Amino acid sequence: MPKNVTIFTTNTCGYCQMVKKYLGAKGVVYEEVNLDIYPERQAEAINLSGAMTVPVTVVTQHDDSRDVIVGYNLARLAPAVA
Amino acid sequence: MTEDKKILVYGADWCADCHRTTELFDQHAIKYDYKDIDSDEALKAEMLALVAGKNVIPTVVLTDGTTLQEPTNDELLAVLKIRSEVDPAATLPSHEVIIIGAGPAALSAAIYTTREDIETLLFERGVVGGLAAVTDKIDNYPGFPDGVEGLTLADDLRRQAERFGAVIELGEVTAIFDEGKYKRLETTSGDMLARVVLIATGSDYKKINVPGEVEYYARGVHYCATCDGAFYRAKRLVVVGGGNSAIQEAIFLTRFASHIDLLVRSTIKASDVLKQELKAFVEAGKMSIHLNTTTDEIIGENRVVTKVLGTKDGQKVEFPTDGVFVFVGLEPNSQFLRTTPILLDAIGFVMTDHNLQTNMPGVFAAGDIRSGATMQIASATGEGATAALKIREYLEGFPHPVQN
Repeated sequence: MPKNVTIFTTNTCGYCQMVKKYLGAKGVVYEEVNLDIYPERQAEAINLSGAMTVPVTVVTQHDDSRDVIVGYNLARLAPAVA
Repeated sequence: MTEDKKILVYGADWCADCHRTTELFDQHAIKYDYKDIDSDEALKAEMLALVAGKNVIPTVVLTDGTTLQEPTNDELLAVLKIRSEVDPAATLPSHEVIIIGAGPAALSAAIYTTREDIETLLFERGVVGGLAAVTDKIDNYPGFPDGVEGLTLADDLRRQAERFGAVIELGEVTAIFDEGKYKRLETTSGDMLARVVLIATGSDYKKINVPGEVEYYARGVHYCATCDGAFYRAKRLVVVGGGNSAIQEAIFLTRFASHIDLLVRSTIKASDVLKQELKAFVEAGKMSIHLNTTTDEIIGENRVVTKVLGTKDGQKVEFPTDGVFVFVGLEPNSQFLRTTPILLDAIGFVMTDHNLQTNMPGVFAAGDIRSGATMQIASATGEGATAALKIREYLEGFPHPVQN
């Protein structure tokens, strides 16, 4: 289990729901930053991902190494939160 | 006492192909030692020494020292010469129906099959609900007088299918082989068998193939308004396309963008209701429509999109913008079928007969992926139901399918 998981989402994004559902099913606790509610944190998401898209999932491990996963990408998400 | 020499499998927990390999060995009761290279750097070094530094898993070391990296199940079976001795149905996981995809066509088919007690597994590589799930609002699906959110419809279809026992696996099918009574599917969860396969992989948004499109992908060029629209609050946008989805997505984007230039290659081909709605936005100054306008190039500075170049009536035109959303139609998700004998049309959609069956007996297709499909959710759900009933006929007629 990672130390910390943050997901940047919006209200209308289907792939965001899928990431949340996946993490929920795996029992991973995460913090959600909904950019429709906190538009001021948009720049943060862009800086982290290099892209203007959601979901952006930031997984911080116990050694503080960090994975930034753009989109619904199970191939990267699954090992990162395992 | 000497220990029997065992096959070694170097892998990692997150590696789907490693699981496929060990599962294959388990099914054939072949003994092996599994070495998780993530658990121990020394194991990784040991593996790299065996394969001249090629950092690829699974790496399989046979008892005679032969190494195989990322072998397919067929390669492994051939090498181990066990192929002919085993009845595939006895060893591989087998299902009555496997549906490839979990969009409206797939989920509707699953509602019908599972409700008739036909065991059904669905494979989804992206979002359950498919393109419908990433559509903001669906206004033309019967039974919802006020329209329905794509996500809601997708979730309701999923719950309905699951209520009757449908199982959705997140993964991908990469090939289909006709082995007579069973079809064998190569999947990210290993090989499996199905008596019937329904291809319902749908379609995805098409690219326009102009300079700048790839370079600015997801950094100014987008294909999903519901996903990426929020990044353009109070920004100028260009929307490319003139069909129903282009108009609908452009209207959705008005909730964020300060202004939208709609570039339409010929004329607008959308429903009258959408055209009326569009007119209101044009009159309010939120949108400008440019007909007979091609999109030629997407230009940016410092990795940010700044303008779109186009041609209108032979004249070069320029549209200053912060981002571009492209909705120029759909292309079939049939890449994985190109190496199979299943017939595709010139564009790549799956050909079917009037029973929605492909030229491979026992393999059906429904929804957007089918050649001749109308790209409507209502049609997709209807075709899913039809396919399920045809599948039942096929299963009941087995091994002499009813010809009608």
